[in-house]
Amino acid sequence: MKRHRLLIDRILVCIALLALWQLASWYFGVYWVSTPRLTIVKFYNSMMSGEMLRHAGYTIEEAFIGAVIGAVPAIILPFTLRRLPGWVSVIDPFMVGGYGAPKLALAPLFILWFGIGIESKIALVASVVFFIEYFSTLSGVRSLDAKLVQMAQLVGANERQVARHIVFPGAVPNIFAGLRIALPYGIGAAVIAELISSNRGLGYLVQIGAMNFDITQVFAAILGATFVVLAVGWFVDETEKFLLRWRPPADSLMEQIHT
Amino acid sequence: MTAANDVVSSAAPAGPLISQRALIILGRCVFAGLLLWAWQWSANEFGIIFFAPPLAVVQRLYEMAISGEMFFDVWATLRISMVGFVIALVAGLILPFLLRLSARLTEAVEPFILWSQGIPKYALAPWLILWFGIGDTPKIVIVVLMVFYVIFITTFAGIRAVDRRLINMARIMGANETVISREVIWKSMQPFFYAGLKVALPRAVGACIVGEFLVSTQGVGYYIEHSRELSDTVGVFAGIVLATTLVLVINMIVEKMEKAALAWRPVDRT
Amino acid sequence: MTAPLLEIRNLGKRFASRQGREAATWVIQGLSFSVPDGEFLTIIGPSGSGKSTLLNMIAQIDVASDGEILFNGDNIGVLDQKSLKPGLDRRVGYVTQDDNLLPWRTTLDNVLFPLEVQGRLDDKARARAESLIKAVGLSGYEKYYPHELSGGMRKRTSLIRTLVYDPPVILMDEPFAAVDAQTRTQLQEDLLRLWEMGRKTIIFVTHDIAEAVALGDRTLVLTKQPTRIASEHKIPFGRPRNVKDIFALPGFAQVYESIRAEIQ
Ligand SMILES: Nc1ncnc2c1ncn2[C@@H]1O[C@H](COP(=O)(O)OP(=O)(O)O)[C@@H](O)[C@H]1O
Ligand SMILES: [Mg+2]
Repeated sequence: MKRHRLLIDRILVCIALLALWQLASWYFGVYWVSTPRLTIVKFYNSMMSGEMLRHAGYTIEEAFIGAVIGAVPAIILPFTLRRLPGWVSVIDPFMVGGYGAPKLALAPLFILWFGIGIESKIALVASVVFFIEYFSTLSGVRSLDAKLVQMAQLVGANERQVARHIVFPGAVPNIFAGLRIALPYGIGAAVIAELISSNRGLGYLVQIGAMNFDITQVFAAILGATFVVLAVGWFVDETEKFLLRWRPPADSLMEQIHT
Repeated sequence: MTAANDVVSSAAPAGPLISQRALIILGRCVFAGLLLWAWQWSANEFGIIFFAPPLAVVQRLYEMAISGEMFFDVWATLRISMVGFVIALVAGLILPFLLRLSARLTEAVEPFILWSQGIPKYALAPWLILWFGIGDTPKIVIVVLMVFYVIFITTFAGIRAVDRRLINMARIMGANETVISREVIWKSMQPFFYAGLKVALPRAVGACIVGEFLVSTQGVGYYIEHSRELSDTVGVFAGIVLATTLVLVINMIVEKMEKAALAWRPVDRT
Repeated sequence: MTAPLLEIRNLGKRFASRQGREAATWVIQGLSFSVPDGEFLTIIGPSGSGKSTLLNMIAQIDVASDGEILFNGDNIGVLDQKSLKPGLDRRVGYVTQDDNLLPWRTTLDNVLFPLEVQGRLDDKARARAESLIKAVGLSGYEKYYPHELSGGMRKRTSLIRTLVYDPPVILMDEPFAAVDAQTRTQLQEDLLRLWEMGRKTIIFVTHDIAEAVALGDRTLVLTKQPTRIASEHKIPFGRPRNVKDIFALPGFAQVYESIRAEIQ
């Protein structure tokens, strides 16, 4: 009954938004804001022709490789340095600086170094993902419950076993919180790099649409990019849920502020 | 790396607490030196087309400061970022408080807000440029879009996290809704607000710089992109150093503000 | 005798069951009692018997499912959410189980909070706040934040935060449950001393028999769920009282024993 009402409310909001868009296209002209129908048809057609999927594939590939290159060292480093707090403090200001630095400003530099191909996008995504993931993992390793470690040592666990059975599981939520922020952001970074200079990918599709004054194409490509971001977010959430079955469900709104 | 390691082991027996701090500072200096050295080495190895040497970058920054170009560009970037930031801040703060008035509306629009968050906002830039031309407006809109969600979501989460018991307490003591919003909800939201601010302010500058890459005739982002087009690598590096410094300074200011505003919290916060 | 200040008639409460899996059970049912002006009433009941729920309904931060509550003879509607008036226009103060201090306000600012929101923050009010802070031994801690205070100090702060605006009825929900025995005795003494000065009506809920007897003019004993009144005990001691020596008074053991027998 109550769920029903909520569903109806949401459908109404959805219709209102689409109607607003339609009204805008009557008012400003289809040329400027396209229409919901045209955009969806265009999206459908370019899905069918495989064009959308091909470009999305490029973007996902860049984001995926970049995320792996950025995230793997970012996860390993805090574990390696767990027993060396002095080292963590030594590199801390540099990490904070790297975290705060506007990585997107590096896009021209990466294009200069690696050209307009996939490498420059991978480098940008990796630099974005690395710092976010480093600090997430670090806070997980740090917030580790000292009592649990003591307990494990009392029953005779060695250093490796402590890391494997206590530290790592304890940090998994933070690793995922980091990924939840870093991955969508990484995809965004790949799209931006494609916008600036590229010959393929969803960002390129947007740019081409804009150059041909084809707003429908722009919107269809943005729609595609949005689906990719949402799908990746969903995938991370589901994986986390699966890995963290033991944890009581928590409010994840706070984790979404970065996306 | 090994150099710092040797220092650690040889100086360790000296004194406990103070030497620890000194060692960390020393380690940082060594690390900074290593980074600089790696930079210089790369410049020699890859050539000035790819890697501008540190000294050349410093000299370029100096020239930019002397000619006033630096302040002109920084001001252009700051102006756009701040205008966009303020608009997004006001909207992102007010909207959740309005939504608080109707639980039904909040529930109805929530999924759309979360989904729209997934839109890669920068991808709208080419369209915005078609719409608004190449003036300030498309950049401001980009900044607003990038900042709004951060503020909105943190405010929303902050309002949700307010302790119901404190609100009840204030009601019992005769506080009206305005007072409750101001004295209880707003105050207990502060940690969320600053968490949002710390993400949002640097992001405003970053968004503005990206906007300047795509369309501009001034600003730090324009300087970087323009230098790249001229294959002026020293200029690219100088621009990036400038952008990074700008963002880091802003970060520092926000952190000072946060510290002052959240003095009431226990110090051992993580 | 004049009409009682507060009268509870046939009050009942049940919580909505979780997703309708089981029928809602009554936590409180058919509860009636009245409180004359100026009485120190203590209510004792086992944990989970609905004491907090009862006070929440009187303070009007929760709806009742049945019955009525009369204040000065007027029926204050408590059956639907919309007509609830938390604190009944500042006539009912509530010292809750948790201290509920605002963590971003110092001790003094927490005590001034009600006066501030009621728009009554003048020099006289300030002086009153300061004298209360002094009376409970918090002088010197005015500028401390709640997290810098001990549990007992926080309790004192939350206590005088309600006393400072002088509501005619004050509800207290196990205010001293979470502090150590020594501090508790001290807090009880402070409370009695402050009460002697104004003789407000107090409804004090506790699960500690000795506390109920030491503080109250009268003690109500509650049954297990669904909660009703099991018995009523007049406390035969005069005022002012000395909490520390109350155990030694003749008659204490008898009241204590008869209450304990009821609770078993
Ligand atoms: N919001 C609620 N929803 C469902 N049940 C509740 C709620 N609040 C209290 N209860 C139930 O009401 C009973 C009385 O609770 P409470 O008033 O807190 O008891 P007391 O204060 O005497 O320890 C308990 O059994 C508790 O489970
Ligand atoms: Mg209780």
